[in-house]
Amino acid sequence: MSTNNLEATLQESEIALARHCMDFALHHGAQRLRITLTKSLMNLTGLLNGEVDKVALALDRSLQIQLFADGRFGSFSSNQLEKEGLERFILEAISTVRMLEPDPDRDLPAAERLVKNAVTGKELALYDPACETLTDQRRREISLSSMLWPRKAALEKGWTLISEEGEYSDSVFDSLTLDSQGLEARHTETSFEIGYESTVEDPEGNHFSSYWWDASPTLAQLRWQDCAEKACLRAAAQIGPKGIESGKYTLIVDSECASKLLSPLLNALSGSSLQQKNSFLMDSLGKKLFPESLTLWDRPLAPGQTGSRLFDSEGVATREMPVIEKGVVKSYFLNTCMARKMQMAPTIEDCSRAVLSPVGGIKTREELLAKVRDGILVTEFNGGNSNSATGNFSYGVEGFLVRDGKIAHPVREILITGNFLSLWGNLVATADDARPCMSRLIPSLAFKDVDVSA
Amino acid sequence: MIGSKQYYFNLFQVDQPLLDALIEEGLRSGGSYCDLYFENTTYGSLLLRDGAVTSGGCHQDFGVGVRVLAGEKTGYAYSESTAPQHMKACARAAAQIADKPVEVNPFGTVAPRRGEPNPAADRYPMLQPWREQSLQAFLPFLQKLEAQVRSRDTRIVKLIANLAFQVSDILMYNAYRELKWDTRPMGSLSVSAVFQQNGATENKSASRSFRCGAEMLTDSLIREIADEVVKGIDERFAARRPKGGQMSVVMGAGASGILLHEAMGHAFEADFNRKGTSIFADKMGTRICPEGIQIIDDGTLAGNRGALNFDDEGVAAQKTYMVEDGILTSYLHDRISAAHYGVRPTGNGRRESFRYAPIPRMRATYMESGNAKAEDLVASVKEGIFVDEFSNGQVQIGEGDFTFFVKSGFLIENGKLGMPVKDINIIGNGPAALADIRGVADDLLIDPGAWTCGKEQSVPVSCGIPTVLIGSLTVGGGF
Repeated sequence: MSTNNLEATLQESEIALARHCMDFALHHGAQRLRITLTKSLMNLTGLLNGEVDKVALALDRSLQIQLFADGRFGSFSSNQLEKEGLERFILEAISTVRMLEPDPDRDLPAAERLVKNAVTGKELALYDPACETLTDQRRREISLSSMLWPRKAALEKGWTLISEEGEYSDSVFDSLTLDSQGLEARHTETSFEIGYESTVEDPEGNHFSSYWWDASPTLAQLRWQDCAEKACLRAAAQIGPKGIESGKYTLIVDSECASKLLSPLLNALSGSSLQQKNSFLMDSLGKKLFPESLTLWDRPLAPGQTGSRLFDSEGVATREMPVIEKGVVKSYFLNTCMARKMQMAPTIEDCSRAVLSPVGGIKTREELLAKVRDGILVTEFNGGNSNSATGNFSYGVEGFLVRDGKIAHPVREILITGNFLSLWGNLVATADDARPCMSRLIPSLAFKDVDVSA
Repeated sequence: MIGSKQYYFNLFQVDQPLLDALIEEGLRSGGSYCDLYFENTTYGSLLLRDGAVTSGGCHQDFGVGVRVLAGEKTGYAYSESTAPQHMKACARAAAQIADKPVEVNPFGTVAPRRGEPNPAADRYPMLQPWREQSLQAFLPFLQKLEAQVRSRDTRIVKLIANLAFQVSDILMYNAYRELKWDTRPMGSLSVSAVFQQNGATENKSASRSFRCGAEMLTDSLIREIADEVVKGIDERFAARRPKGGQMSVVMGAGASGILLHEAMGHAFEADFNRKGTSIFADKMGTRICPEGIQIIDDGTLAGNRGALNFDDEGVAAQKTYMVEDGILTSYLHDRISAAHYGVRPTGNGRRESFRYAPIPRMRATYMESGNAKAEDLVASVKEGIFVDEFSNGQVQIGEGDFTFFVKSGFLIENGKLGMPVKDINIIGNGPAALADIRGVADDLLIDPGAWTCGKEQSVPVSCGIPTVLIGSLTVGGGF
């Protein structure tokens, strides 16, 4: 759909409105506040079995206010950016905040921690000007040529591709964060994404589904050409699953889904979990809880890379920092409020771009399989959860049995169960194949002695 | 609490001629159908943490979505402004899904089909409308709730209570000249507590969610939630991981309805069947579970989290029998899939907000009671597991493999409940599990918790089931 007549980034009039809201709130009872103005524009093309099935256009604006009055705190937002209406909204917000109980730990971050260099919003090279000249015709060309469906016969080998559903989208996101200490920080980025979900049918009529996707801040780096084919081949590879015995296996987790096993660690290191004593990594700072081979950094300042950012939602400047270094927990994620409640120094509110350092010189997943020799390769997770207080987990997984370093046959309807501390303690090797389209850059991982129910 | 038509017209600053003009604009490129979905939602929340209600807020969301269909293809655009020029721009953008401009717009020839909403039939009247309440009035309620929970167990070291409500004004109009309006409330209360005992830590939570006003905040609700938060905590501290593998599973009444949601509900949503991906795509009219079993998706349960007066396409909410006496009798349809299959829509066209086009979604999904007794089902199992508290589930539509995460349960040994278990995932295959139902008890319970389904968009749902015995599922565990 045509977006040439739409203003995808924040305009001066919108920025002036945000500044007016700041002044208005400060003159009507707010002692301190932070305002975040966001705007996004997305074009989407949906594809189904060789045809365009859906087109969508989405333009969003929102003004969020974190407001401090009389030692109290509240959070408010509206998508109705009209001056008089916002003034009424702010007056009601101040009135609401005054009804709450005081919290001495709620405040803006110290001024010296605020970002200084987020002026244009484009400092990290996350904005692709190609979005300004991208035509509907070009979007259609990308979408249609990304499909496998018209040429599926050449790929089908005894099985049939019965459904191919895809989506191409491009979007612009722009935000401005202001606070009553004088902060004005801008973040602007583009995102180009493609994703396919394919279902194949084997000669017996059994269905097997899988997916593939890619994303990039720049159109030139988006790998849309082979996305549908990868989804289809991943589905076809699952044909002919065989049962396995329950027991202990070495688990190789593909880089596409390995971040599933990292997220609970990051959650356990967050201030909100730690302050509520709802974390299996309580009192872990400075302790060696993981193997020497595990090093994890937050690297938010990499230009042009998904997940990079100069500041968090409080406007605090991000920095490169170790989270776990050679097995030792080096940092919690503490925003201003949680740091005060825990009487610790604040860091950053959450991880921007987690990068797990590869070890052992193994490059690819195939090399990792060859080193491990026998085990189960996990390519998709199917449900499951973990206990944030104990670190116990249980997940459904799909993938392949590995014998002598090679894929033997697909497996499904199996479960892995354990505890995150012991799982990561059994990390035996990694590849170096993290996907750059993700904000969690985790390579394929191998863990020994994992309980598998089948 | 349904208002007058003029209330919604004033709120969204529209009138009948403007609505007609927008539909006409949407059909200008040859689309076969067009609809408009106006929404004004107010969200409010209060958070109690560390003994005080120190955080709260309010959020406003307003806009209109325009959908144009060209056969089964969808064009969609939305605006956060209802100024005529902005809405017409959306209609023009959505119209581009069709590419055969018409000289005579068919909309002018369409006669109105249906009547207007009937406030007397409102399934969620608000006795105490949320928007008319001061947040301050809720502070004593949350403080009392915290005190009641803490008084029940001295091992609680941390507690968070969250009260959230939303009220959505909805106006819908379409190319059949059907005009519908509705106001949908939702109140949700949740408590999460952290317990410590002899150096070990455990957490437990409870929630309630209903379509009603602030009248839900009663002393009996406090007692109910406080009891549930501490119930079973001794067993959680004592629980062990079972040995994993295939075994019989007795699903306790209530929240075990997640089985129906994941194992079959999604697979019965007709968009998956229309696209040929569902494992149930060619099973209509065939037996999929034993005789005597009825499985229902219901939008008519007054005050239920999944209740609707109309779905998000303006179709009246219904009670839909998906399975009757073990036979698959209906998918869950929106207008697109209903047209594809040549049946009437079932009132399952739902969306998260005006930002999304509707798709087939569940409402309250449950199985009717059977004739067995719950204790007899447990007694019939030599070696298995009883489960009754869950957190989440998932399904692979193509293969039919589903999972759900069990927060707590018990081993069954020689027909008796034994060692408590916790934090295990259970996996099975939808058609196989349905066919393997060995017994259904007479104790149907609809779970009152705050369930949310996340298929592409988040929508509130609920689920329920009587105690059910399934012959064999795979249970996660150690070795």
